[in-house]
Amino acid sequence: MAPSWEQVVRDHSARVYRLAYRLSGNAQDAEDLTQETFVRVFRSLASYSPGTFEGWLHRITTNLFLDMVRRRQRIRFDALPEDTERLPGRAPSPEQVYADTHLDPQVQAALDALAPEFRVAVVLCDIEGLTYEEIAATLGIKLGTVRSRIHRGRVQLRQALAHLAPRRPAVAGEVGA
Amino acid sequence: MNIPESHLAQEAITALVDGELTAGPAGRAARHLAGCLQCRMAVEAQREAKEALHGSADVAVPGDLMSRLCAIPFTADVPGAGSGPGAMSAGPGELTLTSSTGSWSVDLGEPAPRRGHLRARWLRRGVAGTMVGLGAGVTALVLNLPGDGPREPIGRAADSVRPVQHSEVAPPALRTVTVGTAPTAPQGGTP
Repeated sequence: MAPSWEQVVRDHSARVYRLAYRLSGNAQDAEDLTQETFVRVFRSLASYSPGTFEGWLHRITTNLFLDMVRRRQRIRFDALPEDTERLPGRAPSPEQVYADTHLDPQVQAALDALAPEFRVAVVLCDIEGLTYEEIAATLGIKLGTVRSRIHRGRVQLRQALAHLAPRRPAVAGEVGA
Repeated sequence: MNIPESHLAQEAITALVDGELTAGPAGRAARHLAGCLQCRMAVEAQREAKEALHGSADVAVPGDLMSRLCAIPFTADVPGAGSGPGAMSAGPGELTLTSSTGSWSVDLGEPAPRRGHLRARWLRRGVAGTMVGLGAGVTALVLNLPGDGPREPIGRAADSVRPVQHSEVAPPALRTVTVGTAPTAPQGGTP
């Protein structure tokens, strides 16, 4: 029996949306990324081979995210050479972020502060629970690159958290100075 | 107490935290850590960052996004609809997409009530329009989808007779029935 499209959406949309939200840091981009991911899935049903579905979704979502980031960087570089403000300019309130994502807004903000390549590696590892090998396959990079991106991403994440929340006991306590 | 000659590589520290070191290297790392505060702190730092992300729970998908995702079969153009190996066929209550690797069914049942008539419309568009490949593309269509207000009902004879039912979803088979029974609503109508 063929799986129904609604079943596919029900089974996988939460995962895709969560990944998209962790990567993009806001609901609007997360919705756009999720929508585009499922459109690609639908269009590519013919090339889908059983057993790789989740990896396939990860790959599509992260690639769309990185494309989006690069496109915006290009636009910013071309059109706003002296404007250092972030392009999206639609920051939801911390309450909204938490209500949407059940993630500490400061953790999400710290994630947002990471370079996109580091962010992708850290999110795939620590939120999606992928192995290094799966991450390497998803992003098309070497294992050593996965390791170093995760390492640097976590170092930056921790610094950002300490900076954002100096009173945060779990982090600030051990940061030491 | 001897001072360690060299510290653990950063990548080894990360891999250790993620359980990605094999037994040999993991054992060597553990022996080094026993005598090296600096590396222990580096491990702890990686672990803390990992744990900060670990508490992230599932995210609820917004309802209107869910509707849009479910509607993709009606709004996105289908590979192979024109030239490829795939095929699309509509039956009563479901749409079946067949490709070289298998087939997928798109259930047309249990529609969101307020969007029922829209879905029926998309179905027609989907079957007629997307097979040809709408030039406007997916994004343009998608903009039409969510949350728009009441639309003109599809012009149908039954609507004027029984306006209450016009918003029911009407896959091809059902639509025929509805139209067929409509004249019986007023008493003594001719078939």
